Amino acid sequence: MSARRWAVALGLLALALPFVLEGNRFLAFVYSIVMIHLIWANGMNLLYGYVGLMPLMFAGVAGVAAYAMIYLTRSHEWSFWLAAPMASLGASLFGVLLGLPSLRLTGFYFTLCSLVIQTVITLAFVFFPTFTNGDTGINQIAPPQAPWGGALSGVWMDETLAIVAVLSVLLCGWIVSTRLGKRFMAIREDDVLAEVLGIDVVRDRIIAFFIVSMFASIGGCLFAVTIGFISPRSFDVLTSLNIWLFVAFGGRGTLIGPIIGTIVLAPIPYLLQELQGFKDVLSGVLIIVVTLLMPGGVWGELLRWRDRRRARRALAVGQT
Amino acid sequence: MTCRTSVRDVRASAASAVLGVTRPVLTGAVSAALVLGGLTYQAPALAQASGPIKIGFNTELTGPWTFFGNSCVAGLKMANDEINKAGGVLGRPLEFVTVDNQTSPTQAVAASRNLDVNDKVVALTGPTSSDTALAMYGYAEQQKIPYLVPVAAFPQLTKPGTRYTFRIEPDAAGWGYVIARFLEERKPGAKVALMYSDAALMHAIVAGFKYQAPRSKLTIVSDVMFPQGSSDATVQAAQVRAANPDYVIVMGAGAFDNVMQNQLLDLGIKPEQLLHPYGITTQVFGWGQRSAGMIYGSFFDHGLDNLPAEGRDFIKRFDAANGRPPSYVENYCYNTPYIFKQALELAGVVDREKLRDAFSRMKGREVTTGLPVSFDKNGARKEYIYFMQLLSVDGKRTYASKQIYYHEWDADAIPVYDLVK
Amino acid sequence: MSDATLLVVASTLSTGLILGAIFALVAAGVTIVYGCVWLPNASNGQFFLLAALAAWSLTGAGLGSAAAIIMVLLLGLVLSLGLEWLLVRRLYDVPNRNVACFVLTLGLTQIMAGIFSMTWGRWSDQYTLPPLVSGITMIGPFPMTNNRILVLLIALVVLAASFALLRYHRYGRALRAVFQNREAAALRGVDVRAVYRMSFLLGSSIIFLGGLLFALAYSFDLTVAWTMSVTAFAIMIVGGPGSVLGALVVGMVFGFTQAIVSIFASPTAATFSYLLAMLAMLLFKPTGLFLR
Repeated sequence: MSARRWAVALGLLALALPFVLEGNRFLAFVYSIVMIHLIWANGMNLLYGYVGLMPLMFAGVAGVAAYAMIYLTRSHEWSFWLAAPMASLGASLFGVLLGLPSLRLTGFYFTLCSLVIQTVITLAFVFFPTFTNGDTGINQIAPPQAPWGGALSGVWMDETLAIVAVLSVLLCGWIVSTRLGKRFMAIREDDVLAEVLGIDVVRDRIIAFFIVSMFASIGGCLFAVTIGFISPRSFDVLTSLNIWLFVAFGGRGTLIGPIIGTIVLAPIPYLLQELQGFKDVLSGVLIIVVTLLMPGGVWGELLRWRDRRRARRALAVGQT
Repeated sequence: MTCRTSVRDVRASAASAVLGVTRPVLTGAVSAALVLGGLTYQAPALAQASGPIKIGFNTELTGPWTFFGNSCVAGLKMANDEINKAGGVLGRPLEFVTVDNQTSPTQAVAASRNLDVNDKVVALTGPTSSDTALAMYGYAEQQKIPYLVPVAAFPQLTKPGTRYTFRIEPDAAGWGYVIARFLEERKPGAKVALMYSDAALMHAIVAGFKYQAPRSKLTIVSDVMFPQGSSDATVQAAQVRAANPDYVIVMGAGAFDNVMQNQLLDLGIKPEQLLHPYGITTQVFGWGQRSAGMIYGSFFDHGLDNLPAEGRDFIKRFDAANGRPPSYVENYCYNTPYIFKQALELAGVVDREKLRDAFSRMKGREVTTGLPVSFDKNGARKEYIYFMQLLSVDGKRTYASKQIYYHEWDADAIPVYDLVK
Repeated sequence: MSDATLLVVASTLSTGLILGAIFALVAAGVTIVYGCVWLPNASNGQFFLLAALAAWSLTGAGLGSAAAIIMVLLLGLVLSLGLEWLLVRRLYDVPNRNVACFVLTLGLTQIMAGIFSMTWGRWSDQYTLPPLVSGITMIGPFPMTNNRILVLLIALVVLAASFALLRYHRYGRALRAVFQNREAAALRGVDVRAVYRMSFLLGSSIIFLGGLLFALAYSFDLTVAWTMSVTAFAIMIVGGPGSVLGALVVGMVFGFTQAIVSIFASPTAATFSYLLAMLAMLLFKPTGLFLR
């Protein structure tokens, strides 16, 4: 099959699975978790894989959107379908604000800066309990309303998540195929050179932060209504680091990589529920392995291996 | 290299989205989905039909609330063994599936979900910390699982409209209210300082106290809240000392409680001026002999005046098994399996809805004290509290205390559910 | 001044000094490693905690505090050597190693945090060490334990010693030479790799000592690692990477901020204040306030 057919088949499979898993609540739950993380991983991939910045405050932006959404639905009785886009829009503008340091800093300093920003956001979630209910968290978050009345739950909720996740993959693919996507990659490779070539690096980075924050925010709103409970710890630096790991493990800067990373890694915490400490160790080891041994990620290394083999074969053909 | 390849991939898949779908691909995907479905489909979870009756016990075995969680486990295990030795419930043994929630609300929800979905428990019980209990409360109410709370006192666990949650311990806003009434009696017009950790339980106690304090003509001279994970209170203790209060209400999460208490004593506050809204055996050992004279709240203590024979017997047996006397956490958790037994026998079958109904209409008794166990329409129980004075502490073996005050109040004596959200 | 005011002032001074000195010490450890070797070690907070926990276990096993501290310091030295040999030396020749190292040590942080929660996390929730010396000294109306006074003295002496070492000793000069121009230093006969190793060992040991002193002065729990990590980075950035003097001054400022803000606002507002200081610094003057 060609790549295109594979993509369509995968997309259809993703949309069909909620109906398939309907009878098994545990698998259906794990599936919905994977879908949400897929949205996040796509956003993270845009920034980390294509623009070349490692934003550790990613989860913080998602949290801001989730809390804002809950505030709007609870205190102003907005519908989820109105509250979530508005909250996401607000959080994305906030995300752009948080991305401003990237105009001066890159590499390690930007990552460190984003780490501090994330820490400040988490602390703010804890210390301003008017909106967040502090460490206690917010429970019994109502599911979104269904278009036919009542609450959206069970299989239709999962289907909604699957649709949004598939859309996020398509959107990501579309963005990187446009001129904007090419400019992103030019900035990633060398921002000084890109500037010289006439790319407005400042404007493009701001656009990138807006788009990426949108991914984070929508994922955050969906996370809140799916799990039904959030606390500051749902959106701390470890969450950001985990999403980063999905992208880096699967392969940054490819479309397939983050999907692989998410499918393989996202269910682990839910399967290793009672071995919380072990889960931390495992993800730590993975981070080290990825950094040292496979900087391209699983998919990236596969592509590299294929290219090398092709090159060798071409060379062999040329010689004979 | 990677960059160029990926651009190509991207174009292919983006294009495929725009173009239509070819028939073989569609059939392929659908049949793959059906095969997968056949593999994973299971009949919806039915109620447990045979084997032990499973109840999910979600508690704090690590994290700041460890000493509460472990005390609770000790009491629960003892009663569970007794019940199973005597033939179990409805002819089946009772099994408490224990999981650690690390004193984290997030973990508590995740663990509840596992207990519900994987272990298919008929009911949930557990947390001794209000934060984790609140998180579980949300899950239980949403998923319609009966949830019996032995030791967590946050009022909102039984807020109006609650259907599946039943709370054994009196509500914490009420404790704060009674503390104010008690201090008013001890020293009219007393000056009071508050030092507490940022946790749901403390907020409830403080809210109840602040509601009643002006009505009881008490003055709050200092009010210090610490974030979770604090490790020092030197400056704040000095501030409190400088405000020259008659009483200091101290309540810290975990061992931080001790840090605050010791630093206050270091600065010359007398033990008789210290009041803890709650105290359990392991906590008393932590306070130590230097705190003798202080006051703490309780719902069961071996120093109580009028304990029935069953209570004395429980204390003796618990002491023999664990090398220390039990306190209210052990008592409530010891009673928990017996309350489940009474409710399950009333329900007659192992079924979540039936068990919920049984809880709401049961008229049971605590096997240790004979106090009635029945729940109002929101799942709350009788409201009462004792204040004890610590007389002496004998290392980690035992301690002596005497009852100095008892108060019973109506749940609507104060607007509990409006005070704390 | 009334006794009450004096009491609050004295307690603020003592808390600010001790916290400041420990902050400064840990930041000095971080700044030596980062400023000289260009390796941002995100797991320094976990090393800090490891030292404290190890000392807690040793004293729990019946060892005296002083003996436990010496053992932990030796253990720390062995551990740093092992880590240097196993992991860190692989990065010496990697150009642009900042992000790689930062991410690598974030991974290490997670591994250590997981191990701590599976081991010490099961044994207790808050830890304290028995004091080195007993007794109290009255400072006006404020009783200060001799133990804390000793902790403060040790921290200040070590800080002064490392400052002198970097400024006046041959090793310190070599270190600064390597930092300014690695190739030139190598040409002049400086063993660059040896200098790197020394710096890593020195920095790690200072962080270990910081953990021990913190544990002696205060009770601690597992969350202290993360707070300390971020605080140390903040101090290093504001003070200027590689500058021990900067670490000392900014560490003291942060310590006093913590003590004073917690009187007038709340114990929590303080954390915000210095994180915001760090953000502002990163944005407007990433090279820090002090030169090395």
